[in-house]
Amino acid sequence: MTNTDIKQLCGLLHEQVQAALPELETVIGWTQGYDLLHTTPVFVRDANSISKLIWNPFCSQNLTGYLVKTPAVQATDKAKKIGVCVKGCDSRSLVALIQEKFVSRDSLYILGFPCHGVIDWHRVMLKVPATGIQAATVEDGQLILEHNGGLQRLELADVLARKCLRCVYPNPVIHDTLIGKVATPLVTVENAYRDVEGLEQQSLAERLDFWRSELDRCMRCYACRNACPLCVCQERCIAETREPKWLTQYMSISEKYLFHFIHALHLAGRCTECGECERVCPMEIPVTLMKEELSKIIRELLGYEAGVNLEAVPPLLTFSPDETSI
Amino acid sequence: MTGKVYIAQPDLEKVLSKLAGNMDVWVPAAPANGKWGVEFMPYHSGLAPILNRRSSLPPKKVLLPQMEALLRFEYQKDPQDPSKVTLRLDDPTADSLTSRPVLVFGARPCDTRGFLTLDRTFTNGPYVDAYYRKRRENTFFATLVCGEADSACFCSSVGSGPADMEGSDLRLIPVEDGYVLETLTERAAFILDSLESLALPPTEIQEAAAKQINDEISSQPASGFPPGTVEAFRGRFENLGYWQEAVEQCLSCGVCTYVCPTCYCFTITDEMKNLEGARLRSWDSCMFSHYTSEASGHNPRPTKLERYRNRVGHKFSYIPTNYDGMIGCCGCGRCIRLCPVSIDIRKVVQGLKEETCECA
Repeated sequence: MTNTDIKQLCGLLHEQVQAALPELETVIGWTQGYDLLHTTPVFVRDANSISKLIWNPFCSQNLTGYLVKTPAVQATDKAKKIGVCVKGCDSRSLVALIQEKFVSRDSLYILGFPCHGVIDWHRVMLKVPATGIQAATVEDGQLILEHNGGLQRLELADVLARKCLRCVYPNPVIHDTLIGKVATPLVTVENAYRDVEGLEQQSLAERLDFWRSELDRCMRCYACRNACPLCVCQERCIAETREPKWLTQYMSISEKYLFHFIHALHLAGRCTECGECERVCPMEIPVTLMKEELSKIIRELLGYEAGVNLEAVPPLLTFSPDETSI
Repeated sequence: MTGKVYIAQPDLEKVLSKLAGNMDVWVPAAPANGKWGVEFMPYHSGLAPILNRRSSLPPKKVLLPQMEALLRFEYQKDPQDPSKVTLRLDDPTADSLTSRPVLVFGARPCDTRGFLTLDRTFTNGPYVDAYYRKRRENTFFATLVCGEADSACFCSSVGSGPADMEGSDLRLIPVEDGYVLETLTERAAFILDSLESLALPPTEIQEAAAKQINDEISSQPASGFPPGTVEAFRGRFENLGYWQEAVEQCLSCGVCTYVCPTCYCFTITDEMKNLEGARLRSWDSCMFSHYTSEASGHNPRPTKLERYRNRVGHKFSYIPTNYDGMIGCCGCGRCIRLCPVSIDIRKVVQGLKEETCECA
C-alpha cells in the first residue's frame, strides 16, 4: 500500500461513512494516535468528525470489544445502527459475538478492510529505536521510516505483528461494505499453527520453563482480558471475585498461571486469534500462544474454526450425544 | 563530595560487580531475549545493563514492591481445649528491611523524579510509612542524563527535564566509549570511594566532554503545561462530555497505573489458608472498577470516565494542591507508550484549559 493507496482508501472510507451516517448513531474506527506508528480508537457521531477516521497498516486495535464491554456502544435509537471498522481478524470476533448473541447482526453496519498486516510497534523499536518519526509508510514488503536518524527500510517480516504472519483470513469474513481490494492470504490454516507446533516439539520441562519465565513477568494489569472482545465476564471475572475467592494478591507464579489458563480455557472454541491479548501486554508475554494451542486442538478434535461462519454453532455451546471425537 | 570518575564502557560490569559487593545494585536490563521491554533488576555478574534504551518499567518496585507481606499470623489451637485459640503475629519485613544500602544505577531523571511524589505521600505527611521510609533511607540513585526524547516523553512539561538531578545522589553522563559518574550528595560519597582504583578520575578531555553534553541537554527548551492546570481541572470536573471525548476508548486495564513511577495506590488483604495467613500490601489501580466499589454495592466512580478523571485530577490538581505545588507526574510517558489504545494524557491535560472543545 503506497501513500496514494492509503489516501484513496481513507477518502473512500470517508465517503462511505458520509453516505451511511443518516442510518448510524456511532461509527467506531481508528484515528491518528500520538505518533505515526500509533492509532487510537475514535467514536464518530457527526459529519464534522468523519475526517478523523483513518485506515493504514498501523490500525492495530480490534474495535469489536467496544460493542459488548461496559459501557457498550449501542444505538439508543433502535432504528439506527452502529458502524464498526474491522480487519479480517477483527471480523471473526464479530462473528463469534453475533453467534453468542452478545450483539445482533442487524444492529451493525460493518466497514470491512482487506488487510496486509499491521505493524507491531515493539518489533519496530527493537530494530530501530527511532525518535522524531516524520514519515512511516509500507511499500513493497517494507516499512519505510523517516526519522531523526535518517531513512530506514525494514522488512515487513521483521515488524509485522506475529498474528499477521500466520493470518489465514486477511479479508473480513462479514461486512456490509468492503474498502480496498481483496487481499491474498499468506498462509493456509494447515500451516497457521507453526508457532505452537514449535513449542510442542519441546519437552514438558522446557515448556514449563518457557511459560514460567514468560508468565513470571505478568503484573496482572489485566490488559489482556480487557482488550479481548470475547472475555465477557467483566466484573465477575475469577481474577477479582471475592465470593468465591479464587486468586490471592500474592504475586506468585501459581496465581498468574491460574489466571492465564482460565482466561485461555474460557476462550476454548471461541477465540478467533485476533491477538489483542498479546498486542496489549506491556510485558510482551506471548499469551495468544495458549489460545492458539486450544484452537488447534478444537480444530483437530471437532473440525471447528471459530468466527468464520455465522451459521455454525460453536462446539462448546452445544451438546451432541453422538459426539465421538472427545 | 564532588568526586568524579570515568568508567570506560568495557569496565562497566566490573564497576557494577564491585559496587554489588557492598550494596544491592539495580540496573535496567532486558528480561528476555527478543523483547523490547527493559526493566530494573538486581545486578548479578553476567547481567548486561541496557542504558541506551529507556526502560518500559520504572524502578518503582525497588521502594514500593508490587506485593509485600506486612505481617504473618497464625491461629494456634490449644490441644487441651480446642475452643481456645491464640494468635501469633510475625513481622516478616523485620529481616528484609536491613540497612544494606541499595543503588539504583542508570535510572533516567523522570524515573528518579517519580520517587519525589512517593516521598511526599509516604514520608512527609502526618502518617509515615515505615517500610517505604526505611527503604528510601538506604537507597541511592545514580541517574543517567537522558539524551533523546521519544514521541511520548514530556518531562519538560512537568517542571523537570532530561538533566534534572532532583532526588539523585550521583549523576551519570554518557560520553564517548564510557560514562562520567559524579557524586552530588554528601551521603553518597562512600560509593565512589568504594571503587578504589577500579575507576579513575576523568581526564580533562573526558570531563569537558561530559560537561558539554550535560550543558547541551540542560539547555533544551522546556515547554511546561500552561499555568493554572489545578483550577482548570476543577472547571472541567463536572463536564462529563470532556472526559467522554478524552477516554471513551479506555479499556479500564491497569497498565497506566502499574507502569507509572508516581502511582502508589495499594490495597491491603488478609490471605489465609487453614489457620495461617499473611496481611499483604499490593499495588492497586484506580482504573479498576472495584477500586472504589463499596460494601453496599455503591460505586462512587461508576464508569471509566470518573476513574480516568480521578487519575488526571490526582496528578495534576490534588497532589499540587496538597503538597508544595509539585505536579504528581514525572512526564516519563510510559502511560502513553504502553496504553493499549494510545490514550495521551498530555492532550487531556492541555485540553483542560482550552476555551472551546467539541464536547462542551
